[in-house]
Amino acid sequence: MTTTTTTAAPAVDLAGVEKRFGDFVAVRHLDLQIQPGEFFSIIGPSGCGKTTTLRMVAGFEDPTAGRVSVGGRDMTGVRPYRRPVNTVFQSYALFPHLDVFENVAFGLREARVGKAEVRERVAEAIRLVQLEGREGSRPRKLSGGQQQRVALARALVNRPEVLLLDEPLGALDLKLRTEMQNELKDLQRGVGVTFCYVTHDQGEAFSMSDRVAVMNLGLLEQVGTPEDVYHRPASLFVADFVGKANRFHGRVESGGPGTYTVAIEGIGQRRVPGPDGLAPGAEVAVVVRPENLRLAPAQDGDGVGASVVDAAFLGAVRTVRLQSSRLGELTAAAGGAAGAPVPGSTVSLTWDADHAWLVPTAETPRIAAT
Amino acid sequence: MNIRRHPVAAPLSLLILLFMWLPLIVVAVNSFNTDTIMAGWGGFTGHWYSLAWNNQDVRTGLKTTLIIAVASSVLSLIVAVTGALWWRNASPKARAVYDGLIFARIILPEVVFATALFFLFLKVHFSLGLTAIVIGHTVWNSAYAAIIVQARMAGLDPALEEAAADLGATPWRAFRRVTLAALMPAIIAAGLLAFTFSFDDVVTSVFLQGASDSPLPVVILGMIRFRITPEINAIGLMVMLFTVTIMSLAVIIYATAGSLGRAGRRGSMLDMYR
Repeated sequence: MTTTTTTAAPAVDLAGVEKRFGDFVAVRHLDLQIQPGEFFSIIGPSGCGKTTTLRMVAGFEDPTAGRVSVGGRDMTGVRPYRRPVNTVFQSYALFPHLDVFENVAFGLREARVGKAEVRERVAEAIRLVQLEGREGSRPRKLSGGQQQRVALARALVNRPEVLLLDEPLGALDLKLRTEMQNELKDLQRGVGVTFCYVTHDQGEAFSMSDRVAVMNLGLLEQVGTPEDVYHRPASLFVADFVGKANRFHGRVESGGPGTYTVAIEGIGQRRVPGPDGLAPGAEVAVVVRPENLRLAPAQDGDGVGASVVDAAFLGAVRTVRLQSSRLGELTAAAGGAAGAPVPGSTVSLTWDADHAWLVPTAETPRIAAT
Repeated sequence: MNIRRHPVAAPLSLLILLFMWLPLIVVAVNSFNTDTIMAGWGGFTGHWYSLAWNNQDVRTGLKTTLIIAVASSVLSLIVAVTGALWWRNASPKARAVYDGLIFARIILPEVVFATALFFLFLKVHFSLGLTAIVIGHTVWNSAYAAIIVQARMAGLDPALEEAAADLGATPWRAFRRVTLAALMPAIIAAGLLAFTFSFDDVVTSVFLQGASDSPLPVVILGMIRFRITPEINAIGLMVMLFTVTIMSLAVIIYATAGSLGRAGRRGSMLDMYR
């Protein structure tokens, strides 16, 4: 907890890490740095390699190739019980035969910490997760949320350099999840420990994280702030995984870096921001988030015409499904308070030039943009 | 028709219960009966107990039985625990075979195993006696022990040892402080169960005892062949109380250790014994 500046060695450094299980490649050539004090999340669908990555940091799996470092120290060949990291498991893995106090004290006892200090630090950790009074309870007597807190306290009491969390909220109901998300975020800001959080739920990751990494099929697709990943996705996979995306097929005509002139199929030339390194002629997808599509009455001239298929009221917003002869099926989000677009009516669609983003499509040779 | 509410159901159940318990009650009453031929109540006495307690055959039998019971329950536990540890990481096919072998030991008549072991020991020139009995008891006792230990093992989250390692425990410490400690109620219960089964056993002991001292149940069997005395009743009641106490202890320990809460359960055909 003494290192919180970005000039220090990365809290976690994965260099060219690969993990194979027989013929199956779980993680492919992964380069990733997590900075000290960061709340970092790895997201992706199940089987994308995120949990394997976490387990390699914890030491439960050895990389087939590459190097894992924690706090600048090479962890190759270092067994899990010698690593300066602790894990919050998806199943919590609380010791059923020990009460809350002894569960939390487990790591300290292994480290042969003196009795008085154990009492003090366990009490502090239990206070931190607001479980005072439950010290004598067995885990099975606790609710899911309370078990979750014990797992957190049990890990944090050891003052790890990095706390690894493997889908820790997966077993909780929605309301409790949201509460715990806020608490986790506050907790992390409070103790300043680097958090490495694995989840398949992008909303959960976005709400808590300083930065997120998106993985798919063992490959790292993108690393960035939640805003980066959401508004400036590096691939179609990322664009779709982190939220609903309208995509229009197009070809880069000129421009760059920063903004390009793109010929979009069906509607012609537009100025669209995108990543550096797109050459003229590159096949791209123009990604526009539903909330960035503006619906106007049909008589407004310069928009793209579309007919309303359906408008679903979700409370704060309405999800409007549209059909356009020029752009195909579209989804837009309209404020829940405004009047609902009438199904069958015709609307005119527009978006601000900087509310779209170019994503190179698979066929395009990607010019490295670093 | 509701069978449970049938007018015959209650009296019939009562009759069956009476039939089961009456012999035990008779034994208990007669163990204090002065009447030597047990024809009627002749008055209260503790004489049969002191007689039984001072009977040298009974004493030797008890000692033999205790040695066999302790040795075979310890061996059964070793077999059961190591088996359960292996079972945890075994392939589903290997598990099915292992579970099948356990059930075979429970379902097959004891006399079949006893005979088989008898011939096996003769064939390999392994002398019959205490050791042979201990092995014989272990063969089927370990099956019961394995079921109890495995049931609890199945309820243990496989991530527990990883969690312990994550918290700084070496593999040996993780095994001792977590796996073994979490299994302990089942291990104690299984040990007590194996102990009482061995303590009661006649069939295997008779087949395998050879020329060595007989364990207590065999001694009792020998005594009633000659003459039924109230002394037998005294011994019977003591054995009964002893066995019931240990069995109750086993049940209490296992029940109070309770369920393991939410945990990564793994399926097993043995789950029905939970």
